[in-house]
Amino acid sequence: MRTEPASFNRLTRRDASTELVSILTQAKLVRVNRATQEIEPWLATSWTRSADGLRYTMKLRPNVAFSDGQPFTADDVVFSFAAAYDERSASVLSDSLQVNGKKLTVAAVDPLTVIVTFPAPFGPGVRILDNLPIFPKHKLQSALDAGTLAKAWTLETPPAELAGLGPFVLSDYVPGQRLVFIKNPHYFMKDAAGASLPYLDRITAQIIPDQNAEMLALASGQIDLTSDAMRPEDYAPLRRAKNAGRLQLLDLGVGYDADSLWFNLKPNAFAADPRASWIQRDELRRAISMAVDRKHFADTVFLGAGAPVFGPETPANREWFSADVPQTPYDPAGAKALIESIAPGQTVRFTLLTQKGRSSLERGSAVIRDELQKIGVIVDVVPLDGNALIQRFVSGAAYDAIYFRAAATDTDPALTPDFWFSFGSAHMWDIAEPMPATPWEGQIDALMAKQIASADLAERKRLFAEVQKIFAEHQPAIYFAAPRVFVAASTRVTNLVPALIRPHLLWAPDRIAVAAGAPRATH
Amino acid sequence: MLAYLARRFLFALFLVFAVSSASLLLVRMAPGDYATESLGITARAATMEQTRRLYGLDRSFAQQYGHWLARAAHFDFGRSMAYDRPVADLIPERAANTAILAVTALFAATALGIPLGIITGSRRTGLLPAVIRTVSITLLSMPPLLTSLFLVFFAARTGWLPLGGMGGGAADVTGGALVDLVRHLIVPAAALAMPLAAMFERLQSQAMAETIGQPFVLAATARGVPRLRVVWRGALKAALRPVTSIYGLVVGTLLSGSFAVEMITSWPGLGRLMLDALRARDVYLVAGCAAAGSVFLAAGTLLSDAALAFVDPRAAE
Amino acid sequence: MMGRRIGIVLVALWCVGALGAASFAPHTASDHFDGLLNAPPTLPHVRDEAGAWHAPFIYRWRLVDQLEQRYQEDRTTGVPLRWLRGGHVVEGNDQAGSPLLLLGADGFGRDVFSRLLFGARTSLTLSIAAAFGAMMLGGAIGGIAGYAGGLTDDLLMRASDFIIVLPAMYVALALRSILPLVLEPRIVFVLLAIIFAVVGAPFISRGVRAIVRSEGRLEYAVAAASLGAGHWRVLGRHLLPATRGFIAVEMTMLIPAFIVAEATLSYVGLGFPEPIASWGTMLRDASDVRAFADFPWLLSPAAAMFVLVLGLNLIVQDRRPEDWH
Repeated sequence: MRTEPASFNRLTRRDASTELVSILTQAKLVRVNRATQEIEPWLATSWTRSADGLRYTMKLRPNVAFSDGQPFTADDVVFSFAAAYDERSASVLSDSLQVNGKKLTVAAVDPLTVIVTFPAPFGPGVRILDNLPIFPKHKLQSALDAGTLAKAWTLETPPAELAGLGPFVLSDYVPGQRLVFIKNPHYFMKDAAGASLPYLDRITAQIIPDQNAEMLALASGQIDLTSDAMRPEDYAPLRRAKNAGRLQLLDLGVGYDADSLWFNLKPNAFAADPRASWIQRDELRRAISMAVDRKHFADTVFLGAGAPVFGPETPANREWFSADVPQTPYDPAGAKALIESIAPGQTVRFTLLTQKGRSSLERGSAVIRDELQKIGVIVDVVPLDGNALIQRFVSGAAYDAIYFRAAATDTDPALTPDFWFSFGSAHMWDIAEPMPATPWEGQIDALMAKQIASADLAERKRLFAEVQKIFAEHQPAIYFAAPRVFVAASTRVTNLVPALIRPHLLWAPDRIAVAAGAPRATH
Repeated sequence: MLAYLARRFLFALFLVFAVSSASLLLVRMAPGDYATESLGITARAATMEQTRRLYGLDRSFAQQYGHWLARAAHFDFGRSMAYDRPVADLIPERAANTAILAVTALFAATALGIPLGIITGSRRTGLLPAVIRTVSITLLSMPPLLTSLFLVFFAARTGWLPLGGMGGGAADVTGGALVDLVRHLIVPAAALAMPLAAMFERLQSQAMAETIGQPFVLAATARGVPRLRVVWRGALKAALRPVTSIYGLVVGTLLSGSFAVEMITSWPGLGRLMLDALRARDVYLVAGCAAAGSVFLAAGTLLSDAALAFVDPRAAE
Repeated sequence: MMGRRIGIVLVALWCVGALGAASFAPHTASDHFDGLLNAPPTLPHVRDEAGAWHAPFIYRWRLVDQLEQRYQEDRTTGVPLRWLRGGHVVEGNDQAGSPLLLLGADGFGRDVFSRLLFGARTSLTLSIAAAFGAMMLGGAIGGIAGYAGGLTDDLLMRASDFIIVLPAMYVALALRSILPLVLEPRIVFVLLAIIFAVVGAPFISRGVRAIVRSEGRLEYAVAAASLGAGHWRVLGRHLLPATRGFIAVEMTMLIPAFIVAEATLSYVGLGFPEPIASWGTMLRDASDVRAFADFPWLLSPAAAMFVLVLGLNLIVQDRRPEDWH
C-alpha cells in the first residue's frame, strides 16, 4: 500500500487504500468481474427485471452472516442505501449510485428479497450496484439515526467493531506501518469443489510510501504483491528477479486509459485574450493531434511498452471500443497548414499545465512540447504540485491547456456519465455546463441519454459508437498513447486472476492462494 | 539562574505559538485544501462544497484560527482530516517513532564523528586522516535521499536486513520484539547518522586544528608535556565549543524527523507526517507538527546552551 | 600549502567549466536523443578492433531492448570525433545518431556531461551566493548576539530559532502560490538565494555567537575595549576574525546542502524551469534504484559535488600545527 487508508469507513472516503480495505472486508450485491467485465451474482443470487425496466427484484443469498456472526438480511441492504444517501454524512458513494441525478429507492419485501427501483430506465441495470458495499445495520444504525455516520468507523475503531461480509477481517492495525487481515470464518463464497473460501489465512498489507522501496521489496521477496502496476522503468530489475525464479511477471496488454490533453473550452474564457480567434478552435486540436507521432510518443514515454490511442476509449475496452472511429493521421505538414489557416502569421503559443511528480505526465508533456515545436507551435510546460493543479482547475481559474490523467472506474460508459455529459463534473474541458456550449456536445448529450436508458446492448453499443465518432471529429480532449500494464507477484502466489483495472490482482482476494509449504502471503 | 530559565521557557512558549500560527496561515495560503486533495479533479462542485462545510474549510482564516486557538487552550489540537484521528494522538505516536530513530542516529553519529574529527584535526598528515576526510566529504556531497536509497538498495541486494518499516510484522520473528526493532533500525539510523557524523567530523576537525594552533598549546608542548595529553586534556574542552553550539540544533532537527529517510525506509515518523500533512493540506495536523517541531527545537537549544556553559565556562552567564 | 593549491585548482576547474560550458559541452542542456534514453557513456578510443591507430573516435550505441534500456556498441564503424566546430571544443556526430556522450544520457536522452557543465553554472552561482548571504547574515546576527548578550542575545537567537523551525517547504509552497504561473529564471534565482541565505544563517549565527561570547572575555578583547575601542571595532577587528575557521567550515557544508535543497524546493514548484539544468535536480531525477544498478553515470553530479566540496575543504583547512614552528 502506498499510503495509510484515510478511514475504515468506505462511505466517507474513496482513496485507494480505503477502497482496498473495503474490497478485502466487504461484499456487494453483485460483483463486476474485473477480468471479464461481466456482472456476477454475489450477495444477490438472481434478479428479475420488471416489464418497464425500472424495478429489479433481487433474491438474496440465504444463510449468510457478517464476520461477527450476525445474519445478513434485506434490512442491511436497505440500510446500506440509506447510509449512502444520507445527506448529513455527505457520502462519496452517493453520486455513484444515482441515475440522472436521482436516487434509487429500495424496499425489503421479505428477509431475502429486495426491490430496487430506478428513477429512469437504466441500461446497465444492476451493474451500478457494484458501487455499494453492504454495511451492517446492527452496527451502524445508531450512528445513522444520530447523524454521525461520517464519524463512524474511523481509524481508531477497534477491529472487532468492523463487521463485514467480505473474505477477510481486519485483525490488527499498526498506525503508519501495516494492516493485518485474517480469514473471515463466516465468508459465504465457496469454490467450485465446495471448499470454503478464501484460500489464504492471512494477508499483511505493508505501508510503503516510496515506489522505489516498494519495488525493491517486491524484487527481493519481502512482499509478495503490489496493488499498483509496475512502471516501465521497473521492468528491468523485476525481469532479473523473474529470471532468478523469484517473481512472475504478467503482461496484461494495453490499458484502459491514457493521459489526455485538453484545452479550456469554456465560452468567453479568452474574451480579452488576443489568442481568442484560434485557441478554442477544433482545428487547433486537430493540428496538435496530427503533429504528434504517437509511436514515437509511446516509445519515449513508455519505453515502447505502449500503444497509440486516438480517443478516450482504447481497444482494451473490448465491449465498447469502436474500431470504426477515424484516427487522425500523423501529418506534421498538414498540421502546420491547419495552424496557418486559423492563425495566419501569428505565433501560436500556449501554457500547458501538468502535474509534477508523475513521470508519464512529465515525459508526455515534454514530448508534446518537442513535437509541436517542429511545426512552430510554442508550448510552455508548467508542472504544478497536484493540489495546486486541482485547485486551479476546480476553482474555474483561467488556464490554457492541461495534460492529465483521470483513471476510469468502469468500462461501461453509462457508469461514467460525468465525463460524457456536458453538465457533468468530469467534463474536463468545460465542467458543468448549464447548457451544451456547442451543437456537437448537445448531440453527445442526446446520444448518451438514449444509450443509458436503453436496455438493448447492441443498440447501446451502436449509439456509443456514434458518440465516439463525434468525439473524434472535434477532439475536445486529445489522447496519444496508453501504456501496457505489467504486474508482478512472487512465485509463491498462485491462482491469480489479473485485471486491467486497479487493483489488478487483489480485486478477487478470495481466490488467491500460495504454493504449498509457504507460510504466508503479504502485500 | 531561575530568571534565565523562566525567560527561556516563556520564549519557548511564544515560539511554539508563533510557529503554529504561521504554519496555519501558510497552509491556508497554499493552493488547494483538503477537499481538493481528497476528492480529486473530477469531483462535483456540490460535493466539494459539502465536504468543505463538513470539515469547516469554508470559514475565513480568522474564524478558523480563532476556533483553533480556543480549543488549543484546552489542549485540544483538533482532528486530522486525512487520518481522521485527534492530532494529539497522532503526533506523540509518530514523534516517539522518530525519537527512537533520532536517538540511535545521534548516538552513532556522535560516537563516530567527534573522535574522528579530533584525529583529523590534530594530525594533518597521514593516511588515516586523509581517508576519514574523504569519506566525510563524500557523505556531505550526497543528498539524504540518495544515501537512504543506496542503503535500502544495498540491503535489498544482500538480503541481510529488512528494507523498511519498524518491525513487528508477522509471527516469524526470532529473538523477540526488541531484536526485530533493532534490525529494522539499522538502515534508517545509518542513513541519518552517516551524513551527521560527517558534519560533526568536519566541524570538530576544524575546531581541533584551530585550538592546537593556539599559543597555550604551543607553550605546553614546549614545556615538555606529551602531545597526547595536551590534545586530550587542554585542547579538547575548547575545541568542543562549535560542535556543542549546534548540537542542540541538530537534536531539535533530528527529532522533527527527516522526510527523505523516513519515506524511503517506510519509517512511520514525524518528518513524513509533516510533509504528508502539507501535501494533504491537513490544517490542524500541520499546525500540530510545526508545534511539535518547535518544542523539540526549544528543548534542543536549551540543551545546547547548557552544554556550552559546561564545556566553556567563559561563556556561561 | 600544497593542499590549498590543489583545492584552488579543483574549485577553479569547475568555475572554468561552468563559465565555458557553451564551448566545452558538446550539447546544450536540453538537446535530447529520443533513441538513446539512459544510454551509457561513449568512451573514446584510439585503437580500433584490428589494432590500428586512429584519431580519437567513438562507437555508436545500438538499442538492444527498449523496455530494459539496454544498448550494445556497434563496433563495425568508428565515428571520428570532430574538433573545434560550431563553437564546441569537441563533439560527435549528432546527425548520424552517434552523439558524443562522455557521461552517458539521462532518462530523457539528454547528455549528462553537458548538463553537468551547464548545471554547474546554476548550482554553483546559487549555492555560493546563498552561502555568502548566510555568512553575512549569520555572522552579523551571531556576532551582535554574542557581544551584546542579555536581551538582545535572547531575541536574536529566538528569532533564528523561529527560522529553523518553520518548515521551509511550507513557506516555499505558500510563496509559489502568490507568484505568477510562469516564473523567470532570474526571479527564481533571487528568491532561492534569499530563502537559502535566511535558512542557512542560524547555523552560522549560533557558532559565531558562542565563539564571540567566549573570546569577548579574553584579555585582549577586554584590553581593547578599555583602551577606548568602539564596540564595532572590537567586534569587527578582534572577535569576528576568530570565527573565520568555523564559518569557513560551515560554508563548505552549506554549499552542497543548498545544491540539494534546490531540488527539494523545485518539487513544490519553486525551481528553475526547463531547460535550465542544475545538479540538485539531476540528482533527484536520478534517485531511482536503477541508477545504482544499471545507470551509475546518472550519479555523476554527486561525484562533481564531491570534487567541489573536497576543493573547498582543502582551501579552508587551517594551517598545520607544524606551521607554527
